Amino acid sequence: MTQDESRTGTGREAREAAAERAAIAVRPDEFHHSEAGSGAREKVFELKGIDVRYSGVAAVKGISMDIHRKDVTALIGPSGCGKSTLLRCLNRMNDLIPNAEVQGELLYHGEDLYGPTVDPVQVRKLIGMVFQKPNPFPKSIYDNVAFGPRILGRKDDLDATVEHALRGAALWEEVKDRLEDNAFGLSGGQQQRLCIARCIAVEPDVILMDEPCSALDPISTGKIEDLMIALKDEFSIVIVTHNMQQAARVSDRTAFLMVELDADEQNRWGRLVEYDDTEKIFTNPADQRTEDYVSGKVG
Amino acid sequence: MAEPGSAAPRTRLATAGAKATTQAMLRDQPRRDVIRNTAFAGLLLLAVSIALAGLIALLVQAFIKGAPALSTDLITNPPSSIYPEKAGFRTAILGSLELIAGVILFVVPVGVGAAIYLEEYADKTRWWNRMIEVNIQNLAAVPSIIYGILGLAFIVRGPLDLGFILIAGSLTLALLVLPMVIIAAREAIRAVPDSIRQGSLALGATKWQTVRSQVLPASIPGIATGVILAVSRALGETAPLLLVGATVFVTFDPTPFSDYSALPVQIFNYAVQPQDEFQALAAAGIILMLVVLLAMNSFAIWLRNRYEQRW
Amino acid sequence: MVEHTRVQYQEELEQLEASALGGLDLVSAALSRTLEAIEHQDVELAQLVVADDDRIDGRYLEVHQSLIALLATQSPVATDLRLISALLHVLKNVERMGDQCVNVCKLIPLSGNEPPADKEMVKNILTMGNQSRTLINQAKRSFEDRNVEMARDLVRQDDVVDNLNRECFHLALAIGDDADKREWAMTMLLAARAIERIGDNAVDIGEQVAFVVTGLFREFEDASHPGG
Repeated sequence: MTQDESRTGTGREAREAAAERAAIAVRPDEFHHSEAGSGAREKVFELKGIDVRYSGVAAVKGISMDIHRKDVTALIGPSGCGKSTLLRCLNRMNDLIPNAEVQGELLYHGEDLYGPTVDPVQVRKLIGMVFQKPNPFPKSIYDNVAFGPRILGRKDDLDATVEHALRGAALWEEVKDRLEDNAFGLSGGQQQRLCIARCIAVEPDVILMDEPCSALDPISTGKIEDLMIALKDEFSIVIVTHNMQQAARVSDRTAFLMVELDADEQNRWGRLVEYDDTEKIFTNPADQRTEDYVSGKVG
Repeated sequence: MAEPGSAAPRTRLATAGAKATTQAMLRDQPRRDVIRNTAFAGLLLLAVSIALAGLIALLVQAFIKGAPALSTDLITNPPSSIYPEKAGFRTAILGSLELIAGVILFVVPVGVGAAIYLEEYADKTRWWNRMIEVNIQNLAAVPSIIYGILGLAFIVRGPLDLGFILIAGSLTLALLVLPMVIIAAREAIRAVPDSIRQGSLALGATKWQTVRSQVLPASIPGIATGVILAVSRALGETAPLLLVGATVFVTFDPTPFSDYSALPVQIFNYAVQPQDEFQALAAAGIILMLVVLLAMNSFAIWLRNRYEQRW
Repeated sequence: MVEHTRVQYQEELEQLEASALGGLDLVSAALSRTLEAIEHQDVELAQLVVADDDRIDGRYLEVHQSLIALLATQSPVATDLRLISALLHVLKNVERMGDQCVNVCKLIPLSGNEPPADKEMVKNILTMGNQSRTLINQAKRSFEDRNVEMARDLVRQDDVVDNLNRECFHLALAIGDDADKREWAMTMLLAARAIERIGDNAVDIGEQVAFVVTGLFREFEDASHPGG
């Protein structure tokens, strides 16, 4: 082999490697977004060109989507695609992170969630959140659930509120005889349902769930999934999950986010690739990248 | 494929070889390692013994010397510089108790408040907050005599001008242990995981509601432990009190606004008397103080073990 | 007490099974009408059966789509997976049986207004049809009850249909030299053949029952697969 040939050979390899990387990264101009059959649905959130930056570095860029009332909406995508970041925008939990900024328009029932007169504390009363790891307070089961109503000054008939919330979270039968026990004595799955009960007790409009089952065994996961399906009669639910099958099982609509790299591959951020009815995403996605991800070929 | 019969003996041989190797590996610890291990363990044991021996020597000496003077008179009788057989620690003990009460009253709100500010509210990217943090660490290491001078200059005289009264002593001791309390309280607050704060905030609680209802209750055992340890240090301090007017000889029960003495100061006073009887009295005072300090420290340890939250 | 999870998915699967097996009721009804149309040479009724086959096809498409969605979203395994696979087969059988009814009904106008019908042959075909309808109903019941014995019995029942079909052939051969009569007999042979296929489809459903219950797929012994 001559000198020249070997050089072209390596050149081709480099090109192929670059092409492979480009295939993994998202092409920004393409985005599949179907509103078919959902035009008349009431919208809870309208996201219009949302960018989130931490200390000036973008975590997600240009997210536009509508989230409908009393749907379970799932955000899926590989790690680092910004799905949790996006979720935390929705109840302004990102405010707690220094130097986090949200750009673009985020409407909640038509109101600008980041408007100058909006109090994030009030936002979080309406838009509750359940976290990845169960985080019960180091108090009794009762006090965990009663905490929300107490701080909101809803102290009338607290017992009934607590029972209603625990029933709503399918936990009442398991804990009704030990409401004064410390919440740390519950199993992981029970703790997570307690956290959901705690959230329900505030009577929010939306419940955000950030990988709520990632720390749980399959049976507990099944119970929480059933719970989500039951809860959507009353609440709108947005769930982030790294478990595609979970999104498939519980959600009505699924948004697929992907990591996008800039030209010199120094920066990476999340981009919405496809957002559609869950059934469509998992049977006949419009975008090849979605198909590759949900069928486990990349990610 | 080979016959099973021909393959089996070879497999058995291989297994036997592997077994022998494994046994050799498991049994043969190199001799050098054995010696090193033993030597090192011996050194560590020696270090522990020296520390223990010091403590035991102190206790034994105090008991031998102080035993004759141990009686309830020790607690109930006021001091005397003339009649060692009648002299006790009554006013000094009362003085110490009142001092400590004053320290607690001052140091808990200020110390916990400062800790909450630094942990929950202070923006750590600001230089002044970082400066405060560094200085609190440094203050904890400042010798107590410096606090005595500070108390003399600013509390007894100077801006506050309280005079040589018990409150002045309390405030001086409080300043001395304040950094300890702040550090302990900060650690206790920091030990409360962020997930608890987020859980509370996500329910629509304000920052203050979160701190008051979740963070503080969860950190109380840690804070209490720190306060007790700080107070037991204040109880044993002598040097600053000498500067801010703890007189050695108070024959009346002190009030917050009167002259006062304190247990260690009284012990110091008896110890410097030439008579043997007073030496015995001082030893008895040491026993008394050790008992109180050990009791307080034990309580702190018990508290920590009993209520410490495992996250 | 066993606590069940994924309740909604289980309910959905049960509903889909009911819908798929309900397709057999549609086929059974279509076959009844087809037989009536043959008996009375009723062209209009035959046209109705042809038009009505859209309902069977619709059921096929609808349940098929839902089953695919269930496969995609719920990742069923074990018995659920076998059930879904079997239901997809059953749907195909339903659709085929509906088409066979249509085939028969399309033959009826061809045989003319006043056909030179051979009474014995018509009677033979009607018996075949009724027997096939029994097969359809039995297939459905055996599926609902997960009854493998009942499903195996379908082979024996189907033998009756096969024998009648062969008899039709002999009757057609013996029908004589009249051209019209021979044409009619040929048409009726095609109808008999279609009805015989319906019986085979019912046996196929029985095989799916055995697959759901035992997890083993084996064609039942029949004329083409003698026992061994």
